[in-house]
Amino acid sequence: MDAVTYPHPDVSAFINGSVVPLRLPFDHKPLAEQFQVKWTPTLVTLDADGKEHHRTVGFLPPEELIPSLLLGKAKVGFDLDNFESAIKTLENILKAHPKTNSAPEAIFLHGVSRYKSTHDAKPLKEAYEKLQTEYADSEWTQRAYPYRLL
Amino acid sequence: MGNPVKWETELNAALARAKTENKPVLMDFFNPG
Repeated sequence: MDAVTYPHPDVSAFINGSVVPLRLPFDHKPLAEQFQVKWTPTLVTLDADGKEHHRTVGFLPPEELIPSLLLGKAKVGFDLDNFESAIKTLENILKAHPKTNSAPEAIFLHGVSRYKSTHDAKPLKEAYEKLQTEYADSEWTQRAYPYRLL
Repeated sequence: MGNPVKWETELNAALARAKTENKPVLMDFFNPG
């Protein structure tokens, strides 16, 4: 990450502007054990109370790290029932990073967030249809499969 | 090249900033080699 990803100007600008970056050695006591870190890099997204909401293990290139961190931010909002914030962040992923590894999960979570904020099932079906069209082989399409019946 | 990432090194300081700045924390466990 140090050689390729973090030095990228888009990445450093995003990190410095959108998250609070914290770096700890893999054997940090007590946090490495507390967060069950088994390999590096392990990237964990926490809310301001220190609760985990998203994690990745292994190298991410610049074009994948930014949408992954946005997905983490969206999950913080989703888990804290701040659906407006989650939806806004997820739409950012779909608009600015549509063909990245985070996009299918973002489509799924976008549909779920819209449903939970409106109690209208239509976004769930829309999410499945978008996944089926654009990411037919994705696990997220499988997970959304029941929504085709809504 | 842009500005380098400005890493915190203590969780409590990062969480305090997260509260003040209304941002999530990116916690990177790395191998310093």
